[in-house]
Amino acid sequence: MKKVFILLLISTFIILAFKSGNEYTFAIPINWPKPTYDFAKNPLSIDKIQLGRALFYDPQLSSDNTTSCSSCHSQFTAFTHVDHALSHGIKDRIGKRNSLALMNLAWHQSFMWDGAINHLDMQSLAPISNPDEMDEKIEHVVTKLQKSKIYPLLFQKAFGDSTITGEHLLKSISQFMLTLVSSNSKYDSVMRKESVFTAQENQGYKLFKTNCAECHTEPLFTNLKFENNGLTLDTTLNDTGRMKITHNKKDSLRFKVPSLRNIEFSYPYMHDGRFKKLSEVVTHYTSGVQKSNTLSKKLEKNLVLSSNERVDLIAFLLTLTDRTFLFNKDYSFPRTIFFTEKKE
Amino acid sequence: MLSTIKNNINSCSLSPSGRIKTISHGLAYCLLFIISIEVMAAQSNKILNINFHAYYGDVLLKLDDSVYKTENETAIQIETFKCYISGIELLNKEQVVFRENNSFHLLDVSELKSLSIPVTTPSTIQYDKIKFNIGIDSLTNVSGAYGGDLDPTKGMYWTWQNGYINFKLEGKSMICPTKNNEFQFHIGGYQFPDRTMQQVILNILMEGSLAIRIDLKKIIDSIDLTKQNQVMSPGKDAVILSEKALKIFSSY
Ligand code: HEC
Ligand code: HEC
Repeated sequence: MKKVFILLLISTFIILAFKSGNEYTFAIPINWPKPTYDFAKNPLSIDKIQLGRALFYDPQLSSDNTTSCSSCHSQFTAFTHVDHALSHGIKDRIGKRNSLALMNLAWHQSFMWDGAINHLDMQSLAPISNPDEMDEKIEHVVTKLQKSKIYPLLFQKAFGDSTITGEHLLKSISQFMLTLVSSNSKYDSVMRKESVFTAQENQGYKLFKTNCAECHTEPLFTNLKFENNGLTLDTTLNDTGRMKITHNKKDSLRFKVPSLRNIEFSYPYMHDGRFKKLSEVVTHYTSGVQKSNTLSKKLEKNLVLSSNERVDLIAFLLTLTDRTFLFNKDYSFPRTIFFTEKKE
Repeated sequence: MLSTIKNNINSCSLSPSGRIKTISHGLAYCLLFIISIEVMAAQSNKILNINFHAYYGDVLLKLDDSVYKTENETAIQIETFKCYISGIELLNKEQVVFRENNSFHLLDVSELKSLSIPVTTPSTIQYDKIKFNIGIDSLTNVSGAYGGDLDPTKGMYWTWQNGYINFKLEGKSMICPTKNNEFQFHIGGYQFPDRTMQQVILNILMEGSLAIRIDLKKIIDSIDLTKQNQVMSPGKDAVILSEKALKIFSSY
């Protein structure tokens, strides 16, 4: 009896060991740093990415089955929320912050405007359980998915186990998010010497490198640090940012430096969505920066830009738009997966 | 065992190498697996059960409507008691003689099975002390999703600011000026200076027995429930409570 069991086990391993065609190679764009995400702990596979994609678009992750991750992170806006300054969750509940764009997350070390989340795998737990967002419990999500027709099969395919666990759920959503890499803007093709900037864009790029790049550092267009860029405190929200997490006064009003890739489409801007247009953002940096104890040294000197220079700077920012990312079919609603579910 | 081997295989398929490499890897893993089975059979191991017994003072703890008394004769009820035990080690004359791999266990008084932790040790082992942590270490806290007792569906993970809840104690008492007279202590925090993982070292008094007593009365009596009844985030209060939690463990 025992021998049969062991033989059986071994044969499963042989099958598993030779299974192929499901690998997914994470391509690091030329001249980019090494990602920080530890892929060895969560090796990418096509089945897991597809499962994660289904989950990302599935409103079953919310308590009343109305809100999915994509409700606040929609592809055509670089996976952020456009029509609302503050996030907009189930039953029209309004959150406390503007949603963040999702891209190039494999390079990030901490997540959210204040870095409250220490690992991409754990990110999904926050919106799922936030009462203003999806207002659900991960335990209950797992129960719901286990009862569905399609998910036990998808988990079986992806993890070799049809029993759904929190770990597998979170790791597959991570996998999908990890594939959201934006590295094909005009800026990138200029860097790869496949095209050239216009004279105006080139002027803007120079201005950007002297005034903005210390925080919005290439190639990710963020240094991934927490900085105070001189926004006045909105007293209705009283959001002190990073300090909420570290309890350190030095971190008051510091927020995660957001990437500026696809910035043309990810309005409104800033953690509370206070600006609708890039011109308003530029005006903030030229005449709106509020002095305070924690204001970044990099912004202490007044930035003076002529009206031409302002236009040049914005022209450069528009070269960060990556249409192959915004319209990539691999990132869109997984029609085929959900469609087969309906047929069954 | 099974799952680690599966993971290895997955990670080898991540490499962009061709099919041949995959096949040779596959063979290597199969061989490794067969060898490891034989090695396991050759060594004589035994299973030791570490048994935790939860008490309130002198009576066995029940999470039903049982009413207990505090030092000041105040009536209280306990509704939840869960805590993580990790990094189990056995010592003999101050030397570590056994260290459990991947040692993470969730004790949950509502699940009797969880109170008995089986560990596989060499059969000839001798020990006079047991060492373990209450809670989860910092590295594990920042390394993403895990399964088993560490799975986030276990209700021991904070979602709005990441980190494991090391120790959870909930109940009711008329003296708590809160909604439904509830008290809730969710003790966690892995970042300096708010680290709450605590190390316990206990002498093993009786040869061959690994029974550990938990007395919740000790922590309840050290808290003024009229003033302190909700601690649910990392910080100074959590650290102080974690030090108090340390004292509820003793050996027989
Ligand atoms: C109700 C709207 C809403 C929903 C639903 C939502 N999010 Fe978000 N998301 C936000 C907001 C708002 C932020 C920024 C919050 C903050 O900083 O406090 C954010 C931040 C993030 C970030 C951090 C990005 C960064 O650069 O740090 C990730 C990753 C993310 N969300 C993924 C998800 C996933 C996965 C889901 C589904 C499980 C999801 N979100 C559901 C609104 C939402
Ligand atoms: C000291 C670091 C720093 C410098 C220098 C800096 N920024 Fe920022 N930037 C930030 C931070 C931090 C935020 C987010 C602030 C918040 O929401 O509280 C931000 C936000 C933005 C946003 C909004 C992004 C979004 O998705 O909401 C834009 C656009 C932007 N910056 C453009 C620029 C430009 C253009 C310059 C140069 C003129 C510049 N920044 C210089 C730190 C900096």
